[in-house]
Amino acid sequence: MSAPDANSGGGRQQQFEFSIGCVPFQLQMSDERLFRAASVRYAAFTGATSQPIRIALNDSSTAESQPADFAYAFEGAVLRADSRKIRFDGVRNEYALDSLLRILLSWKLTGRNGFLLHAATVIRNGKAYVFTGRSGAGKSTVASLSPIGSVLTDEISLLRRENGEWRAYGTPFWGEFRAAGSNTSAPVRGIFRLVQAAENRVALLRPIEMIRALLPNVLFFSSESKANRRLLEIVGQAAEEAPGYELAFRKAPAFWEALPA
Amino acid sequence: MTSKPSVSWQKNPALAWREIDDATVIISPTDSVMHELNDTGSFLWKNIDGRRSAAELAGLLAESYEVAPDVALTDTQALLDEMSTRKLVVPIPAAGGDLR
Repeated sequence: MSAPDANSGGGRQQQFEFSIGCVPFQLQMSDERLFRAASVRYAAFTGATSQPIRIALNDSSTAESQPADFAYAFEGAVLRADSRKIRFDGVRNEYALDSLLRILLSWKLTGRNGFLLHAATVIRNGKAYVFTGRSGAGKSTVASLSPIGSVLTDEISLLRRENGEWRAYGTPFWGEFRAAGSNTSAPVRGIFRLVQAAENRVALLRPIEMIRALLPNVLFFSSESKANRRLLEIVGQAAEEAPGYELAFRKAPAFWEALPA
Repeated sequence: MTSKPSVSWQKNPALAWREIDDATVIISPTDSVMHELNDTGSFLWKNIDGRRSAAELAGLLAESYEVAPDVALTDTQALLDEMSTRKLVVPIPAAGGDLR
């Protein structure tokens, strides 16, 4: 995290840099309280990056100069991105900041062969086990039944195709497990559609079954056709290339024994 | 909706789609709804190009799937009607025709 670097009128302009899934960001803000909150929230992901995506947070000194390439409003907070800059306005707390960051990241990832997925990711023997499903499917349960320190995230996973290989990254976006996320990655061993059941069972899924499992759990907020075509291309590639399974499991650590090594 | 000879069909340009296995997955960005076409639907989808009518599409279907022309036409019209209801395809007037 860099030190405060400027004083811009009403508040001291501060910035810090961090990266999520190797996507670099630089937040610029003058709100001391938000700065402190963001510093804590993204502590595990901070660090100097090259050519970060710059985000002006609640910066009233600059006016909108051109139509946005992408815009999204969420509970009073607004994201606007054009070819020159990105603005987050109306951000009152770290939760709103977190929401706009997820939205921006989901959009930026389409240019980097990646996407965000409602999924818990756990590392085992150096491989990423990605457990996907809607709220209540068992993501946090899986995380809580996994060894301490092995959970990258219990809520939102980041998947990217790099050098012909799918990798899962931790994110700072957590759920009920309340882990802070882990800024590491591992090659994907499998993506598992969670189904709670009386006994543990794993079944391989065909790509069409996998894309049915993935698409409802992908976080994406753009309604623009071109962006959605790119997203579908990436998610479809993941469905075809990453091993996909249905995991019927009961709430006990023994479910790990049913998983492929 | 009933397909008419003077009407050709085109894909809704707002959609995103991708073939996977023998199916076609389509997403509608405006409402985040996912649609899926089976083998026959995928065949039609690939051949919907903004110029072909239901009869022409049915001709291709009959040829590729070795079904009787009248059966192919009935199936094609039913699929086009279903896709039109879901706003996956839109009718456009063929040359010299209109939508009235």
